[in-house]
Amino acid sequence: MSLKLDYVLRETASNFRRNITLTLATVITVTISLTLLGAALLFGDAVDNATVRWKDGVEFIVFMDPEISPELEEDVRRQLEDAPEVSGFTYIDKDEAYAEVQDLLGDSPELVEVITPERLPASFRVKPTDTLPERVDELAAAFRTQPGVARVVTASETIRAIEDLSSGLRQRVIIIAIVLLVAAAVLILNTIRMALFSRRRDIEVMKLVGATNWFIRVPFMFEGLIQGLIGGVIAIPLIWLTNNFFSVINDDVSLELLRGFTVDPSRVWALGFQMVGLGAIVGTVGSGIAVSRFLDT
Amino acid sequence: MIRMENVTKVYKGEVLALQNASCEVQRGEFVFLVGPSGSGKSTFMRLLNKEEKPDRGRVYVAGKDIGQLPSWKVPFLRRNIGCVFQDFKLLPNKTVVQNVAFALEVIGRPRGVIKEKVPAILELVGLSKKMHNYPDELSGGEQQRVSIARAFVNRPLILLADEPTGNLDPNTSLGIMTLLDRINRTGTTVVMATHDRSIVDKMRRRVVELDRGQIVRDQSRGVYE
Repeated sequence: MSLKLDYVLRETASNFRRNITLTLATVITVTISLTLLGAALLFGDAVDNATVRWKDGVEFIVFMDPEISPELEEDVRRQLEDAPEVSGFTYIDKDEAYAEVQDLLGDSPELVEVITPERLPASFRVKPTDTLPERVDELAAAFRTQPGVARVVTASETIRAIEDLSSGLRQRVIIIAIVLLVAAAVLILNTIRMALFSRRRDIEVMKLVGATNWFIRVPFMFEGLIQGLIGGVIAIPLIWLTNNFFSVINDDVSLELLRGFTVDPSRVWALGFQMVGLGAIVGTVGSGIAVSRFLDT
Repeated sequence: MIRMENVTKVYKGEVLALQNASCEVQRGEFVFLVGPSGSGKSTFMRLLNKEEKPDRGRVYVAGKDIGQLPSWKVPFLRRNIGCVFQDFKLLPNKTVVQNVAFALEVIGRPRGVIKEKVPAILELVGLSKKMHNYPDELSGGEQQRVSIARAFVNRPLILLADEPTGNLDPNTSLGIMTLLDRINRTGTTVVMATHDRSIVDKMRRRVVELDRGQIVRDQSRGVYE
């Protein structure tokens, strides 16, 4: 059975004109659902980004005495490399430390001026294999007494608190996203069903004169596809708006904990296109399912 | 062309629509189905294009047992059966020509064929001048002519008419009957359910009378009662 493209296009166009309110209702439903879902996913990403620097597994930092010889520093490095309890570490030299300080104290240039790279300690940021607080403390203590080590800072508890917060938030966001997705699917199905109900006469006539089920279904599915696409495309700028709201949070200095609460623009675009794709799928499949109800023979 | 063998149909709630009905209609026949409301006339017709399935018995159309027909083939059965109803079932937002063309479009006929056939059939039913009117701009008789044009444009083997004159005045009804008669003369088998005594008596065709789901009379060149 060949489906005539011009027939499908003409039918779809006339259905759009005839049922403009229902079309509008479907498009708005799709837009709102996709925007909410997109915003929820974006929020999850932003939470991930905000906490990523706490999450690379760094449990304690070994600060070296700024005045020590490179040999002593080499000793500590070798020890870290040999220790089976250490899964990895990053070395931050004086210059990198200075860059970080400049970043942190960027607002008070007079403080930066007094500090020179020479006076800053180099440090090792250590990731232990075992992250139990007691084991981390044990390991940290072993380095505390090393010659050339100025001090060792463990931050397990802070990190843990933030990690818990982040994973809890993410779980909730995922639950919200799933609920929204289901709600969107039900709403779309219902809207399409209403639109179809107003056209049951057309379907009745089509069945009567011997149109195949697919012939009846395809224009409706095409209509759903277009409604889904339009809804998705409108959702893109709305998702961007959500992202701008994140930037506002991010720029608020008082919310220090949420520094980095932002999402890469390319990720926002990707998410937008995913929402358009999802809208197209939900629209097409939803119409297909809804129309099948009128086709059971 | 049509054969029913011991067909019984019971609707939900134990409504007996047809009871052990057997009937055979030859190609090219014109058959009136008569009987009071609820006697099973509409069920008889709905069984023929598989809108309903019999609970017992077999229905043959064009030599084929349609009970054996897979559901995806049902549309192709219906292309061989034109249907006309008391309430016309025209699409109100399409013009006369669009309504008729629609029936060909949805079975995938090429546009060239549609352009050629639709004006020809409208000429046959006498509506060439009102091609671009909408159904609500036509009289009841004219609407029924459009509906007959739509049912016949695909040259079906069988035309089923369920009280086609039920909403029309006697004069208009006669016009519709003349049209159905012409269609019958082209070799199309016509089955028409009706309450219209004067038409049945005037036409003197085969009459099958149903009463409470049973065929109580089958008479060639019969009258209403």
